[in-house]
This record gives sequence, structure tokens and C-alpha cells, in this order.
Amino acid sequence: MDQQKAIFKLCKGLGCCDSCCLRYLGIRYQNAYENAQTFCLKFQDKPANAEKVDQNKPTDISPPSSTSENTVTSETNVSTDDKPTENVTNDESNNVNPGDDTKTDIKMEEDTSNKEDTDSSNGNVATSNGNGSRPAKRRKRDICTSCLGLLQKDGWPECNAAVKEVLDKKQYDSKTFGCGLSAPIATILREKVICLKIKEAFPDFDERSITTLKESWKWAYGPQLAQHIGIALDSGSVSPLLIVLNMEYPDDLQELEILKTLSPDLFESRSRQRKRFTVEFTRRSVEQALEGATLEALTALRWGSVRSADSAASCVSVVCTRTPLYLGGRYIKLSRELPQTPWLLGGKRMMESSVQDIIFEPLAKAYGMSEADADHRLKFMSAGREDVDVRCLGDGRPFAIEITDPRRELTAGELQQICEAVSSTGQVVLKKLVPVTKEDLTLLKSGEENKTKTYEALCIKLAHSKSSDTTQNGTTPITVTDEDISRINSYRNTPEGAPERIALTQKTPIRVLHRRPLLARTRHILDITASKVTGHPQLLVIRIRTTAGTYVKEFVHGELRRTAPSLGDAIGAPVDILALDVTNVQLDWPNKQ
Amino acid sequence: MDFQILDSIPELSNYKSFTDRYFTKRYILNYGGIENNDIMLMFHSNRIMLLSLAPSHFFFKKNLGYSINFNTGKVDRLSNSVKGKGKKGGQQLEPNSTLCQILFEDDTSFKVPSCIKGSLIEINESLVKYPELLKEMPDSDGFIAIILSSITISEAKKSEWLTPEEYLALLKN
Ligand SMILES: [Zn+2]
Repeated sequence: MDQQKAIFKLCKGLGCCDSCCLRYLGIRYQNAYENAQTFCLKFQDKPANAEKVDQNKPTDISPPSSTSENTVTSETNVSTDDKPTENVTNDESNNVNPGDDTKTDIKMEEDTSNKEDTDSSNGNVATSNGNGSRPAKRRKRDICTSCLGLLQKDGWPECNAAVKEVLDKKQYDSKTFGCGLSAPIATILREKVICLKIKEAFPDFDERSITTLKESWKWAYGPQLAQHIGIALDSGSVSPLLIVLNMEYPDDLQELEILKTLSPDLFESRSRQRKRFTVEFTRRSVEQALEGATLEALTALRWGSVRSADSAASCVSVVCTRTPLYLGGRYIKLSRELPQTPWLLGGKRMMESSVQDIIFEPLAKAYGMSEADADHRLKFMSAGREDVDVRCLGDGRPFAIEITDPRRELTAGELQQICEAVSSTGQVVLKKLVPVTKEDLTLLKSGEENKTKTYEALCIKLAHSKSSDTTQNGTTPITVTDEDISRINSYRNTPEGAPERIALTQKTPIRVLHRRPLLARTRHILDITASKVTGHPQLLVIRIRTTAGTYVKEFVHGELRRTAPSLGDAIGAPVDILALDVTNVQLDWPNKQ
Repeated sequence: MDFQILDSIPELSNYKSFTDRYFTKRYILNYGGIENNDIMLMFHSNRIMLLSLAPSHFFFKKNLGYSINFNTGKVDRLSNSVKGKGKKGGQQLEPNSTLCQILFEDDTSFKVPSCIKGSLIEINESLVKYPELLKEMPDSDGFIAIILSSITISEAKKSEWLTPEEYLALLKN
């Protein structure tokens, strides 16, 4: 306890706030930070803020479990020389030209307005503290030299207001939130100096034992933010809603400048690669630069002790995001002039609509998203795809949609309305849309490789079969014969009893060759049956079940013999395809719930 | 809902062959100053090209047995291979590069030119086993090579060479 008290005193002397003192003592529980002032009493020989304490009832100020220590404290009655010593650093800060303050203010406002431009697009707004609504500037000596005010209550109302503004705008339905902090990088330098000072006085002090600024900030700031916004604070890994505050400190870059002298190699190479490292000082690079730093080296750079701060860090922007939601379903595509996803050629849309567009439209509407918003917040995924001119019938093709930063979950009624809106187009039919989990998506993706698909194809026989009797001549009409049908129905090139009937070698079709490597792949037809078409003697319909990745059109016409064998090989005559439907995509999706 | 493939029976008189459906055909007459050394190039909408002998090529009038040699003396076209999406490593072709040589049984022969600067993607390997395809199905299974050229060159040649209408008109004269 004695050493703890001594460290506490040292930190106070360096200009740390109550919470930061607790951090350097390695205190690691929320209560301590929620009521830091009270909790700190047990480390103080004399109440730090004597006047204030006197106004409170004595019982209120007793630390939770240490009445005995408290008694000891008052008995010891240490000399008044040891009063809170912000003054240690005051001398230095008093040297600062008062003109600097105004300069700093302007810079802050500029920074803020820039931020506003960039952040407002996604609904996350920057604080508007440039318009005179900023709380009265705190006196320098009040700003914690370690956290730059992040753990000090006076700055919190401004942060709360900024968070509230974003939440009011985005209207999440989440009953909980997790919070995150982007702290000024200068806090790393300051923390290092304080740790070195403590270590100088107490050689066995371990700087790895301190509580991180982020952690203590969540404990100190989080609970009162929860009160302000009326939803419960939870762990960021549990709550779907994450609120991140970006705090900036006007002198950040200026203070970090010394690192270039401290660790010239690190930053020289970084600035040479400026184009790649647009941000010179990252948390990582600063931590690296300070890793082996000594007090002597820092003293030479006028950082032998922690300097006072001219202004506190302030909240420049708030970013709120909710974890993505996923919807699953199966779509039926009835059009032969509709691609699955927008068909872009050189950035230009080649067709007006797509299955994706048709499904996104009512969904975006339900979420109140603009078209541009929907473009980057909705993502379409499916178990494979069919060509523009291929219909997808039966139960349809499994698909899922990822919704980035959804404000809320849609109700079953709303989902049903979306299905109805989609189906009313007549081009795509959706029977149901249900919530699925991120884990479910792996099933969709694995389905792409493992599923079998069933098709129906309308085919045309283009010449007489070579094997048929020679009485045929140029004037005899070409017809699909019973023999053709039975040849197809019994055709196989695999051993009798093998699960697949036909093994194909398919070169990458010319139609996709521009975007896929040229390869010859083996694919399988599991089953095939053919039938004649009444009233159309030259036509036949085949029903065919294949393994994933089989190009059915190419199997039918052989694609200039680049797929072999082809359907024509079964009947000894060239065959072409007129129309193709997917009739079943075998995949249990979305999972029964 | 009851949808069937039979909903989709097209007007059969509008039937177009595979190459007519997906390719734009262009013709070059008397290539290299050789009479009726006529070549057909078929452009897929994705810029990939097939090269064939045009129906008016003198080859089709010669009633002699023939063989096809894919070894130009410098390179063996059959050893061509391309890697990856970018189709890297294909043999480079200049307009006058020889794709193959046709040798008749009377010891006469002619060379099939590439006609365009580009990269060889694929030789029609079926011609090795079934050389008769060259004569019987020049418009489809008897194509000679798949070639990929730059957008600029492809577009320029597509507008420079004869369209099917122009080709037929010239043949009639
Ligand atoms: Zn602090």
C-alpha cells in the first residue's frame, strides 16, 4: 500500500487525473473508474480536493472497503507541502505564449469542418463544436497530462451530445451498445514518459501492468454515456451496435515530431515511402519508436518529464455501426433477358435490370436507403448463377443478402411484403425471405461446389444421324427418332454401376474465356433422359442432372468439339440448344428454423 | 405456377447456327496477294476471335487429299499454352505469321496466315485427328485457331475487313 500511495502521489505530481492515477496503479475494475474521485481517497494521505470533500457527507467519501485505511490516513496527517502538485509542470506551461491558444483553436475548427465533410456521407456526423457551442476552455493545469482529458468529466457532455446526434439520425433499434475509442496518438508518448518516471523512482514497476487508456475509458465514460442515450453498455463483442468516438488533440503531430529525432531510421524510411504511408505517425510506428526509449534520450528532447497540455482532446467525429444482418431465400427467375447481377462492361450497364436489382429495390425502400446507399450497403450472394437467357424454375436458386450497418431488423410482415413486391414484377418470384446467420453463408458457398443441379433443355437435331439407313437424302426432313431417344436414354461412357453416367472433358467455354483461365476440366452428368416434342419432329427435350460446374449448353452443342463427348455423339448427329431452364438446385436453403 | 421448357419453343425459321449466334463474321480476300487465299475471322462479343478458311478459299475447289502441318519450322503451334486469366505465354502472332500449312498429295501446299497481330490462345486440336473437318465444317468444328488481340486492333480490323453482306456482294461479281 505504501508504494501504491507513493506512485499515486508521483502520478498526481506529474499532472495525472484521478482515473489515470488508478491506471498506473494497475486498478482493473469498472467501479473504480466510475467513481474515480471517491475511489482515489484510499491512496491519498490527505483528501486531494479538501474543500469539495468537506461539502459532502463523510460517509459518501469513504472508499468501499477501506475504512481502516481511511482512519490511518487522517491520523497520519501528512505535511501540507504534499498538496496536489499540478504545479510541477505549471512552470513549463506558463512559458507558452498566450497567442498559441487562439491559433490552436482555429486549427481545431478547421480540422472539424474537414471531418464533417468526409463523415457525413454514411450518416456518422462530426461534432459541431466550431460554432461557439464549445464549453468554456478549461484551465491548462486541469487537463490531465496523460489522457489529455479523455477520462475527465468536463469533456464528456460534448462527447455525449455528438453521440446522441448520430444516434438520433440513424435510429438503431439496438437496446445495447459497445463503445470504442480512437485516442490521440500523443497519449502513447505521454504514457511512456510517465511510466519511465515511475520506473525511475520505483525500479520494480512494470509498465505492462498498467490499465490501458481504452479499457479505463470504457469504464469511466461508458456508463454515463449509457445513461445519456438510454441504452445499456455491453461488450463490443456482444452488442450489435458499436459506437466509436474519434478524439483529436490539436498538438498531436507537433508533440510526436520528436520521435523523428528519437528514432530517425524508422521515420526516415517511412517518409521516403510517403506515398505508401500517408499517415506518418500510426499507433504502431509510435509504439515501435518508443519501445526502447530511455528517460535520458527523452530528456535531450525536452521530454524528460511529461509536459502540460495546452488544450484537451476533443471529439471530432462519432462513427456508429451495427453488425451486418443477413437474409436468405430462393429466387425463381422467369425471364430470359435478365442477368442475375448487373451486367457491367467497361463500367457501363449492359442491361437495365437484374435479379439483384429487383430484389434490392423493395429492400432498400424498407430500410429507407437511397439507390447509392443500397449500392454499397447491400451485397448479393448466391449458390452459383445462371446465364441471362436461362430461367431458374422449381424451388429457385438459393441466395443471401448482406445488409451493412442495418438500423433495425425487419419484421416477418415486412419481409413478406418485400417478397410480394419482387414477385409482382413478373420477372422474379420470391416465396419467402428469412433472417440467416453469417455461419449459414458457408453452406451457401459450399453449395456452390457440392450441389447437383437439374436442368431441362430444348434441343434441335440439325442433320440425319450417320448410322441411320442410307435411304435418307437431302429432301427427307430431319426428325428425332425413337432410336435417338433410346440411345440418349441409355448412353453412358462410364463403367456400368458408376454413380455418374457421362464423364465430359470441357475446355473453358469461349463465352467466358476472357475472364477465366483456359483449362480442360472433367465434369459429370449423373443422369439424362430425352423425350420427343409433340408437333415438332426436329425437337427434343432433355432432362439432365449434373455435378456443379458443368456447362450444359456446351454439352448439348459440343462447342466446336471443345466439349466432348456431346449430346450429338450419343445420336451420331449434330444437335444444338434452343432454350435452357434450371429446374432444381439441390441445397437445403435457407435452413429450416 | 407451372412453367415448362415447352413455353420456350422459338420460331424455327429464325434458327441461327452456333457461330452465327455468338460471333460477328469478317472476311479478307486474296490475302498476301494470293488469289482466293480468303480468310474468315469470327469475333465473339468478348473480343475472342476464331480464324477459319472462308468458303471462297481455293482450298475448297481442290479435290485432293491433304494433311495439315502445325509446325511452321520455327515453332510448333500445337505446343502453344496459355496461363491464367490473362492468357499469358501464348505464341505471339504477326499478321503474316503462319498458323499452319496445308500439304496436298500432289506436293503443292499453302500457308494459313494469322491475318492479325495478337496472341495464340488455342489451336483446334480436333484437326489433328480429323483433318477432314477443315473441308466439311469450315464455319464451325473446322476452325483453325482461337486468337486474342488488343481492343484497338480488334476494333480497327472489325471495321476494316468485309462484312458478310460486302463479302457476298463481292463474290457475286
Ligand atoms: Zn487522465
